[in-house]
Amino acid sequence: MLETEELQKVFKGKVAVDGINLYMDRGESIGLLGPNGAGKSTTISMISSLLKPTSGDVRLNGKSVVKNPETIRSVLGVVPQEIALYEELTAYENMKFFGRVYGLKGKSLERRIQEVLEIVGLQERQKDLVKTYSGGMQRRINMAAAMLHEPEILIMDEPTVGIDPQSRNYILDTVRHLNEESGLTVLYTSHYMEEVERLCDRVYIMDHGRIIASGTKDELKSILSGEETIFIDLNRSYPELLSDLKKHEGILQATETEKGLKLIVPKGSRHLSSIFQAAERYQAQILNVNVQIPTLEDVFLHLTGRKLRD
Amino acid sequence: MHSFLKKDILILLRDRSELLLLLLMPFILIAILGFALRGLFSGDPEPLQISVAIVQQDNEKAGIEKFLSDQRDQGFSEEVIAELESVAFKVSPYTLLNQVFKDERLREMITIIDMNLEEAELALSSEEIAAILTFPTEFTFLSLKNMLLNDGGGSELQVTVNDYGSLQAKVFQSIIQEFVRALNFETAMTQALSEEGIVIEEWDLRDIELGGIETVTSKDPITSFEYYTFAIAVMFVLYVASTLASKAYVEKQQQVFNRILLSGKHPISYLSGKIISAIIIAFCQLLILFTSSSLLFRPFQDVDVMFWAGILLISAILSIGVGGLTAVLTALTVRFDNETFSSVFSGGIVTIFAFTGGSFIPVANMAEIVSVIGDWTPNGAALSAYLQWKQGFTFDSILPFMGRIIGLSIVLIASSVWIFPRRRSF
Repeated sequence: MLETEELQKVFKGKVAVDGINLYMDRGESIGLLGPNGAGKSTTISMISSLLKPTSGDVRLNGKSVVKNPETIRSVLGVVPQEIALYEELTAYENMKFFGRVYGLKGKSLERRIQEVLEIVGLQERQKDLVKTYSGGMQRRINMAAAMLHEPEILIMDEPTVGIDPQSRNYILDTVRHLNEESGLTVLYTSHYMEEVERLCDRVYIMDHGRIIASGTKDELKSILSGEETIFIDLNRSYPELLSDLKKHEGILQATETEKGLKLIVPKGSRHLSSIFQAAERYQAQILNVNVQIPTLEDVFLHLTGRKLRD
Repeated sequence: MHSFLKKDILILLRDRSELLLLLLMPFILIAILGFALRGLFSGDPEPLQISVAIVQQDNEKAGIEKFLSDQRDQGFSEEVIAELESVAFKVSPYTLLNQVFKDERLREMITIIDMNLEEAELALSSEEIAAILTFPTEFTFLSLKNMLLNDGGGSELQVTVNDYGSLQAKVFQSIIQEFVRALNFETAMTQALSEEGIVIEEWDLRDIELGGIETVTSKDPITSFEYYTFAIAVMFVLYVASTLASKAYVEKQQQVFNRILLSGKHPISYLSGKIISAIIIAFCQLLILFTSSSLLFRPFQDVDVMFWAGILLISAILSIGVGGLTAVLTALTVRFDNETFSSVFSGGIVTIFAFTGGSFIPVANMAEIVSVIGDWTPNGAALSAYLQWKQGFTFDSILPFMGRIIGLSIVLIASSVWIFPRRRSF
């Protein structure tokens, strides 16, 4: 349905997006995961025809979006990071304005306004000025405005940044519902690994303007299928112990966490005894030991050596 | 287009600081400048009061009798004498001058006090009166001889003033000079017609031009309130352009502009929406300012429907000019994603336009080059058009000013279309 072909964007000599290739099938929910500055927003600006690529192309059903931006605009809904609404207008006035801009009018406009307000749960507050809304409500009405014209593809750029957990859950549930029940194709960008894990069928991981891994969640986690993650909670920080474990032959990665240490080791290896011995040597008090299956966060850490939110 | 207009008006109405700038500020300035600079404008009603002493050294009745007696001695028949007596009482200069002073326009301005010469000179030196008008001995007798029989050199009225530079003295001298000129003219006319056998039954000097009332032009004068209602309105209407351009910047920053683009609307339709909004908002602002100023300060009195029709037409054309300015500022702001353009316009260019356009002080008091530049600014051209229309100039006179504004608007809008991003944001 939608694909990018060696998409590249250079700003004043600096490569922001470097040869991105991705595709989306109808009804899929795709995640674009990456830290801040990875190039996610630039990529979706090019996909949505707002930004002209330096090179490469975006194709919708085989037709070039770069040459004919109009081809994608009618089927696309974009939820930007910013609250792209008029704060001095009420939610209803905003919906009416954007609905008319999209060419809706009369009863169909009124019906659609009430439908999207119901979807985002803001029917009761539709006569209030947007500036009086909480951050979470503003995010929801921002999403409603993108769905007014019943788009086939919904692109969401970090739609949950800076909001409370309840609003976040509401948005995630709504997106999941729209994808599963209405067959809406979703491209969801975030640097929250758990959101992408919860929502998306397939994931593209971006860093420094490039796709460094892609696939279903299981496929990505299989990158770490030969490894285990061990969390060791300690009573305090032991830098010498961490340094010692990093040198240990069988330990692939050792990092310090808030509570203690995180170690990645080959699956099935018997390293716990040597870890306990090292702790004993530095008189470190072990409070808890937890062996976990890998997450996308672990995959990202494995691929880049950095955390998603660094 | 209607959606853009409604949205822009709603946003403006809910922005109190902008409303204060666009409506309250100009209203306050009209009040302050209108009151503070009263008297600087020729049309401001400054009632002139002139006290004049009349020193009557002549006896009108005795003068007429002496004139008739003189004619009897010349051998005129009683029938002619009776005719001369009837005319003499009617055209006696003293009587005629009294008729002039009784004129409604002069009665409010001139106070006549009968005095003897000594009292009058004393009053003049103490500036209780502005002038002394002396009717010398035999004034009536000599004047009638000259006027009715073209005999002798007549007599002279004597006007004594203390201060030649004073406005009151000048005005009074002008009145008397005009009276004498009219009297001499009527006398000459009567004598010429008499020779042709035509007799004028009555002289009426009440409609003579009194002179001495200063006007700036030959048209109606302008009061300070009239001037500043127009001058401040044409200045503050320019702020509509910067206000809408700064809103465009916010729309760009908050991705609202992108959302509009993504709807498939052509970018120029967004720009057109801004232009239409600017025109309508500017027109409404001008109407509100003129209406509220008219109700509170009553600058436009005794005006007819044609006056208001002209004001509406000039306002509509000025609003189109504001639309042009809005277009360029919006195009620059969106294209370069920078608010500086609207800030520089509202913070500096409006002030320069206002100065050269005559919004602070009339450009007639400044160097000619300022006036020439000002007439090429939309506000300056509109102010000239408003003032000339108020003064009663013809439509043809104000047409060049309106032509300039329309020409400027076309150039500005064409430039904005060229500058404005076409397909996508950059």
